[in-house]
Amino acid sequence: MKIAFFYLIIFFSFLNINAQNKQPFDSIQINSNQRILNNLSGIPLGVTIGGYGEILFNKPRNLNAEIDVQRLVLLFGYKFDERVQFVTEIEFEHVKEVYIEQAFLNYNIVSGLNLRVGLMLIPMGIVNEFHEPTTFNGVERPSMDNKIIPTTWREIGIGASGRIDEMSLRYQAYLFNGFLSHDGNSGILKGSNGLRSGRQKGAKSTMSNVNIAGKVDYFGVRGLRMGLSGYHGKTQAVDQQNEIPGSEIGVSMIALDGRYSYKKFSARGQYASGTFSDTDLYNEITGRDLGKKISGYYIESAYNILPITNKQSIVGFVRYENFNTHHEVGSFLIKNPEYHRKEWTFGFSYHLSPGTVFKIDYQNKTTLIKDSNKGQFNMGVGVWF
Amino acid sequence: MCVKIKKYLVNLFGLVFLFSSMSFLNEQDNLSAYILKKTKKEITSVFLLVKFTMEKEAIQIPKSNFLKASDLFKIKSGLETKGYALIASAPSKTDVFDYLLLFDINFKLKKIKVLVYRENYGGEIASKRWLAQFVKSGKEFFIPGDTISAISGATISVQSLTSSINHVMESLKKLKV
Repeated sequence: MKIAFFYLIIFFSFLNINAQNKQPFDSIQINSNQRILNNLSGIPLGVTIGGYGEILFNKPRNLNAEIDVQRLVLLFGYKFDERVQFVTEIEFEHVKEVYIEQAFLNYNIVSGLNLRVGLMLIPMGIVNEFHEPTTFNGVERPSMDNKIIPTTWREIGIGASGRIDEMSLRYQAYLFNGFLSHDGNSGILKGSNGLRSGRQKGAKSTMSNVNIAGKVDYFGVRGLRMGLSGYHGKTQAVDQQNEIPGSEIGVSMIALDGRYSYKKFSARGQYASGTFSDTDLYNEITGRDLGKKISGYYIESAYNILPITNKQSIVGFVRYENFNTHHEVGSFLIKNPEYHRKEWTFGFSYHLSPGTVFKIDYQNKTTLIKDSNKGQFNMGVGVWF
Repeated sequence: MCVKIKKYLVNLFGLVFLFSSMSFLNEQDNLSAYILKKTKKEITSVFLLVKFTMEKEAIQIPKSNFLKASDLFKIKSGLETKGYALIASAPSKTDVFDYLLLFDINFKLKKIKVLVYRENYGGEIASKRWLAQFVKSGKEFFIPGDTISAISGATISVQSLTSSINHVMESLKKLKV
């Protein structure tokens, strides 16, 4: 009741401010027979169609190659009016697995502030949000954006996003449903990939705890964009199971990312780390080997070998990744050396036009285990329209 | 646990309610009034004019892929022409955004501002500091990634705005206004 009263007071104070704000403008005179602005005719309303796709060829050394339509994502948007828009992305993975990658209503409240509700991407790191194949180098997404940040990480939630142009800031803050850690039969989360298996993706997901997520992007320095993201909360366990101690664990994540470009040179890097609580108990009741801390980073630099004025670009790049899903483990667990991975990737992205890319690269993957060196050759085409 | 979620939900509804009440503040409902108000504010700060009139010019800059619509205004203080204002629309990935160019009487660029950006991504181009490079460079033709720095995550809108401005500058030269 108290809370309701509190919100009502603020509501009325807004109404009051609004009344004071309505002033006619006096000093702009426009010939009355002319339409004031032509511009308004240019605004598209209604349906938007778009999409992106990746068709990939992976050839691990000494093994057969895999050829796969890794993902084809179709975007449909509908703009109800100038301020209300619905966005959805329907994803086909490996031709026959269907997912909804995003489905949310965006309500532009005032300039610089949007309210969003629905299935959305958790803003963490670079690739989870910017994952269209033309926006990153390498046939495959960075591996730490799979094992540490479980890309494509999306859940149902509500929150706000917007920009502050004067400060060159973009902000996002959401309440999300969290990872599933126990389905009643067994524990879901495991040491090899941290939180990845626990993504509920908005499909009949169970909710026992609310999680918060936020990100701030700063782009006020020429050519540089920095992002700081955070996530905090608890995992979910199905009914009744959630009353058994150890079924849910606490999750705190932080990520720092940067992207820089100067003329034909570009670079990007990302650090992410997740800390979990109650993993000892969780591992005990589930028999899993979930670590207490997962963390990792990657750095990449790239150079466009074609003149900058060309429509096409051929970008050579090299990326180093180092990540560990057993960065720290509880007292009853021994660190698994297989979970500390180091990867080198180098190759080319040939952008035929904005929105289409042909990629080729070679990856060298090792773990802390002796002679674990593995090579892999990749090719792929990517489109975004 | 249930109590915790309830508490969250009550606050959540409160916040949503608050947010929607804020929409009463929204001036974008009358978009052209909103755009003109922002334009007027910019003219006041750039030309240091409090009292002025805007007269719509008859000439039209031809539309292009990167210029969906535009209006050119003459800025007058009394009888004296102080400069020009162009309100234009350019495409982002799936929508359009509106921007403002202010010129002196010789059509030298004095200010760029993004008035309304509608799409979820790419809005970084509205950054004041990033837009300042167009004016500071003193050039009339801009190359994204070279004379104009790139913005990661806003590549399409950077290309669009730069091409749009290039098109405007070129057309103004041809029209010899």
